[in-house]
Amino acid sequence: MSESGAAGADQDVVVAEGIHKTFNRGARGREVQVLRGVDLRVQKGEVLVVIGPSGSGKSTLLRCLNFIAPPDAGSVTFLGRTLTGNVPRRRPAARLRYERELRFFRTHIGMVFQHFNLFPHMTAAENVALAPTRALGLPRREAMERSLEELARVGMADKVDAYPSQLSGGQKQRVAIARALAMRPQLMLFDEATSALDPELIGGVLDEMKRLAESGMTMIVVTHEMGFAREVGDRVVFMDEGRIVEEGRASELIENPQNERTQAFLSAILS
Amino acid sequence: MTIAYTFRWDLVPESAGALAHGLKVTLELSALSFLLSLALGLVVALCRLAPSRPLRAAAYAYTQVFRALSLYVYVLFLYFGIAAVFGINLGTFTAGVVALTLLNSAYMAEIYRAAIRSVEHGQREAALALGLGHTRSFSSVVLPQAIRVAVPGLVNQLVDIVKDSSIVAVIGVFDLMGTTIQLVNSERAPFELYTVTALTYIALILLVSAAAALLERRLGRHLAGGGAGPGPLSRMRAYRFGGEVPA
Repeated sequence: MSESGAAGADQDVVVAEGIHKTFNRGARGREVQVLRGVDLRVQKGEVLVVIGPSGSGKSTLLRCLNFIAPPDAGSVTFLGRTLTGNVPRRRPAARLRYERELRFFRTHIGMVFQHFNLFPHMTAAENVALAPTRALGLPRREAMERSLEELARVGMADKVDAYPSQLSGGQKQRVAIARALAMRPQLMLFDEATSALDPELIGGVLDEMKRLAESGMTMIVVTHEMGFAREVGDRVVFMDEGRIVEEGRASELIENPQNERTQAFLSAILS
Repeated sequence: MTIAYTFRWDLVPESAGALAHGLKVTLELSALSFLLSLALGLVVALCRLAPSRPLRAAAYAYTQVFRALSLYVYVLFLYFGIAAVFGINLGTFTAGVVALTLLNSAYMAEIYRAAIRSVEHGQREAALALGLGHTRSFSSVVLPQAIRVAVPGLVNQLVDIVKDSSIVAVIGVFDLMGTTIQLVNSERAPFELYTVTALTYIALILLVSAAAALLERRLGRHLAGGGAGPGPLSRMRAYRFGGEVPA
């Protein structure tokens, strides 16, 4: 890794080490090794873009960082706090401590999904206000004010009372971004946030992400949008078969990939 | 063919008071059993989806066993069987409620379970990613969506409960059916009295269905364009005139 210098440590927002993840673990014959030892380091204000073919483990890597899919091995250090996928189930005190740390991770790491995952039974405003009330314990009124503020920021001020079913894909994703930002996260994870959108709606959401990056947000972005990667990304990692195969400055890696798998992937999607 | 039967419709107004009392018992029996089944069914469904293996097994056994008997068998077993062995007299009304609740909670558990599983996995993921705990994720995000899916099935159970509650007459509950049987025995006017009772049950069921349609519409506000959606009238019109039935 290029930036493991002395200036690094206190600037690190997230450091993942030796992340392994297998799906259907223990089910003989159906095991799928998704991540085979991934190391990652993202510093404050940095935008890391993760690219790679489908099935290479990009989404799972993001899910390991906030333990939505807890890693089987390895650790994640977020803002100086280290957590593994090993829940101390049998020791109540340790378990309580673990849960507290986990909550810290999740309330400070925002995530935006490919399929939006808005709550369909709530209006846009309620979607955004839910976690501030239920996870942070904010009074309802305060959470609602925050919600309207975040929705206005992503240009959805006139849709606060709309249900997700009344919104276009692009609008849904803006609400999802507002929902994540309402928690005032220190790190944002984007999991193919534009892949499910109609082509004409992609630009708007990418603009929103770009604006967020320019405001200094630390971001990890899984995407196939190479234009975005080059323009907004500071660094790019290329993943294949559960490993990081190549890593470098965004423009350099995209224009001049060294690894042949990276070359093959990039020439396939850029052509 | 000549009819040798003398109609005595005048009996109907005379029996109205007794029948009304019977109706009240039917309503109480049904409402109580329905509410208890709603709660118990959810608990059993949650156990079936719990991480603990013994809990899952127990809940599975519950749904399988309690659905395997008819209400008729239940009622007789609970009232006479239990009383004979343990000397516990549940009372006819209580025995009826317990029987209805055991049977229907087992069915409802399956309805809840299917509804909970129908909620997309990403919903729970999103809630967890936002920092909500397991319980909060379930209660604020998954359950409200599951309930909307479950409502038609649960209402179906309510309809079954109202209808099946007539079976408790067999142990001597004076619900609508029990009262009618008693009147028939004393007045010897089965056609008139059973007609009235049948019509009452039909009216009751139609009322339940209408209320359910309203509830479903209210809960479905967020779906399909979000507007109020087509009401019962426009649906009916579409059926009658062969147009496209609005979803």
